[in-house]
Amino acid sequence: MGASAIDVLILGVSHRTAPVAMRERLAIVPEAVEATLAELTALPSVREAALISTCNRVEIYAAVEDADRAAQALAEVLAQRAGVTSLELGAHLYERRDTEAVQHLFRVASSLDSLVLGEPQILGQTKQAHEAAVRGGTAGAVLNACFQRAFRVARRVRRETAIARNPVSVSSVAIELVRQVFGDFAGRQVLVVGAGKMSELAARTLRTHGATLTVTNRTRARADELARRFGATATDWDDLPAALTRADIVIASTGAQRPVLTHAMLSQVQRARRGRPLFLLDIAVPRDVEPEAGRLSGVYLADIDNLQKVADEHREGRKSEAAEAEAIVEQEVGRFVKAWRGRQLAPTVTALRSHVLGLAQAEATRVAAAMPSLGERERRALSELADGIAKKLLHLPQMALRNDDSDGLSMVAAVQRLFSLQVVAAAATEDDADEDDGASARAGEHLVDDKKAAGR
Amino acid sequence: MATLTAVEIGVYALAAALYLGYLLGLRKAADKVGRLVLALGVVLHFCDIAARCIHRVNPISSTPEAMSLVAFLIALGYLLATLRYRLAAAGAFAVPAALALLVLARVVPAETDAPAMGSLGRAHVLLASIGVAVFALAAVLAFLYLFEDRQLKRRQFGRVMGQGTPLDTLDRLALRCVSIGFPIFTIAIVTGAMWVARLGLLRQAAALRPEYLFAVATWIAFGILLVARLGAGWRGRRAAWLTLGGFGGALLVLATYFLRHAA
Repeated sequence: MGASAIDVLILGVSHRTAPVAMRERLAIVPEAVEATLAELTALPSVREAALISTCNRVEIYAAVEDADRAAQALAEVLAQRAGVTSLELGAHLYERRDTEAVQHLFRVASSLDSLVLGEPQILGQTKQAHEAAVRGGTAGAVLNACFQRAFRVARRVRRETAIARNPVSVSSVAIELVRQVFGDFAGRQVLVVGAGKMSELAARTLRTHGATLTVTNRTRARADELARRFGATATDWDDLPAALTRADIVIASTGAQRPVLTHAMLSQVQRARRGRPLFLLDIAVPRDVEPEAGRLSGVYLADIDNLQKVADEHREGRKSEAAEAEAIVEQEVGRFVKAWRGRQLAPTVTALRSHVLGLAQAEATRVAAAMPSLGERERRALSELADGIAKKLLHLPQMALRNDDSDGLSMVAAVQRLFSLQVVAAAATEDDADEDDGASARAGEHLVDDKKAAGR
Repeated sequence: MATLTAVEIGVYALAAALYLGYLLGLRKAADKVGRLVLALGVVLHFCDIAARCIHRVNPISSTPEAMSLVAFLIALGYLLATLRYRLAAAGAFAVPAALALLVLARVVPAETDAPAMGSLGRAHVLLASIGVAVFALAAVLAFLYLFEDRQLKRRQFGRVMGQGTPLDTLDRLALRCVSIGFPIFTIAIVTGAMWVARLGLLRQAAALRPEYLFAVATWIAFGILLVARLGAGWRGRRAAWLTLGGFGGALLVLATYFLRHAA
């Protein structure tokens, strides 16, 4: 174990450093992840490993013995898999170590390193990466602690900033707008006119929220096919006015060159609806709905440009939230590193104390046994004397261990060697993150005891 | 009692400011703090009314006292509605309205020449107060409906999204308010007419006081609204305008009482 804080190493490429051609060569399909992880942990000086492979990034997270050697070995494996030379890969590859690696993981999980800032999928993908490593037995104390904390940091960022609040895709903006009129979608009638890609996405989302879908198309066969795909019912093109009268929400995306939903048609429909609100989502180019129809009472109309504009505004809004999120990550990295050090320290402090205090008490007992004439009071005084001297002697070394920020772990190693201490390392479990602070607090308690002893 | 009144007006004013802040973008502050402050105001207002009752000035003894009761009912009704619905934007209209009514009620002296109330008179004032308060809530919801409708129509989507109450919810809540308020207001009008008849005022020149006409106009407006909505499924913008119109009539009734007694 070196003098570094945490022996984590990250090696990878992302949308920031590598073109898609390189990323897809490096991508690892889910079925191959476990075998790859086994291959990675078989490398010398790699103790633990996890893999994140999405369309925007391929990254190896590893706990290592010797970071330089491990980095080189891992890079070679990656290059070999992608069928490129180490030099070619090197141009796109980035490396993060220790505290920087922890920070990188926290940023990735919090979606601060994503192409679409604040997008929600990356947290799930990070969790899957960790689960795969746990299943394959390649995640140990170090990676478990880092990933668990990363998930908590991501949740905190999501809770305390608005980075993920407003939708940034056209179809989710459309859904939110419609919600502004109808509240919920249970039992609402959605009419899908034509079949563009985006209409499919919006229609499916509405259906999962409880809306009923009807599909119509100029050719009935196409309408039937779409209905099967969407889980909807199909209706004839000639029935369009009747279908419009029943509908609450219309998603229009035909390939027609002229508007198919005219002001005249909708005006008639709206009369039959008696003012019941109708939301028209026109995501076709050229447009499917005559713009004048948007002026009809109870008719709300949004075209692709309107939706795109809102999406862009939200994207800008997320950028301004990112600064706050970065500050949270910064703070959490500091806490994590401090707690990690505390946990490395606590077992050594405990072993040192029991070693020295045990010796002192053993000596006191031996002396007492050699002097049978001593009374109960004298024996107690003797025991307290031994204890007092031992605690005073322990005080300064413990302080030095706790305060040694720059090179804490080598000091720990020195103490272990000087006193031949058998230290049982704290086993990392899922709750470690919560216990970290407890462990360092306990190490601190000893200090308080000893200050009292030193004062006596 | 004067101190209590001042404090309660101050608390309402703070709540009103917070809810207006909501419209200007200070969302979290309005939603959480505003509601707590308003709750405090309602409790103080209740204590104020109770204290006046102990001093034999009950809330239906005069026009200003009845106005204070209406303000109290608006604030209480709005507060209860927020327990179930996201209505922070409506607070920006409901709370200032309650505040304005309360202030008016407290600055205008009670009439000295009030006719003997009797049980009919008391029933009339109480029911009319409740009816007007419920109509006021309906009007706030209708106003908000028109406000949001306009934003959506003008495609100011960025502003509408994620805040405010869905149009459909506003529409349904307003309908519920009108269907509760209408029967109450109807009985209020009947008891009022009987009271006036008993006092023998009908035979006098004052028989056609303007407030009687306004009250009947209010009743007719809400009546048409209910028939059209429940019978013909009429809703949306026109229903909202009619609700506002009906409440305008109710306001005119209050205003005439006020101007007469203030003069």
